Amino acid sequence: MASHVVHLFLYSAIVAAFFAVLTRRERREQMRFGGLVFFGMTGGVLLLAYLMFPFPR
Amino acid sequence: MASSASPGKTAAALVAGWVLPGAGHAVLGRLRRGLVFFALVMGSFGLGVAHDGRLALYSSREWLLSSMQVLANVGVGPADAIARVSVYGEPAYVRRDGDPDPTQEARIETFRVRWRSALSIYGTAYLWTAGLMNLLLLLDVWDLSRGRKD
Repeated sequence: MASHVVHLFLYSAIVAAFFAVLTRRERREQMRFGGLVFFGMTGGVLLLAYLMFPFPR
Repeated sequence: MASSASPGKTAAALVAGWVLPGAGHAVLGRLRRGLVFFALVMGSFGLGVAHDGRLALYSSREWLLSSMQVLANVGVGPADAIARVSVYGEPAYVRRDGDPDPTQEARIETFRVRWRSALSIYGTAYLWTAGLMNLLLLLDVWDLSRGRKD
């Protein structure tokens, strides 16, 4: 599996779930914090990719 | 504040947590959380091995960087040694560049072949993340056993 996007979502999901369970106790808080981490990571990467688009190699 | 565990139980939880990710939490009575951590750490580790992740070798030429890489690998526990046996044919942790020993040459070549793989960049991220997550879990086990968390 060599898709950057698939690995971006998969890796972000693993890290988000890990820190949500590690740092939050209530299920609702875990979902909220995990979502924040997941969308922060994926959104940040996609935003960075968009900003880099005008500057090809 | 939660009560603290005995020193023996704390030590057992730390050792169990390193040997089997999530087991430290199970020893301290957090079975469900331990199972979730086991699935996440071993899932990441499995993805790393399947994607030609770099099983780092200590090199005196890059002693700081390579030792941190080995530490990140070893954090996941004995599963790392098993992966090394399947990749290198032995639990290899050190590379000696320039050593004419055929075993060393074969080890370095295996390392380079995996490193050149198009998937290695993904696999390495998963492997190191698995090890570092498990090291964080050991710190969490310590906090739980000291009564700093519940």
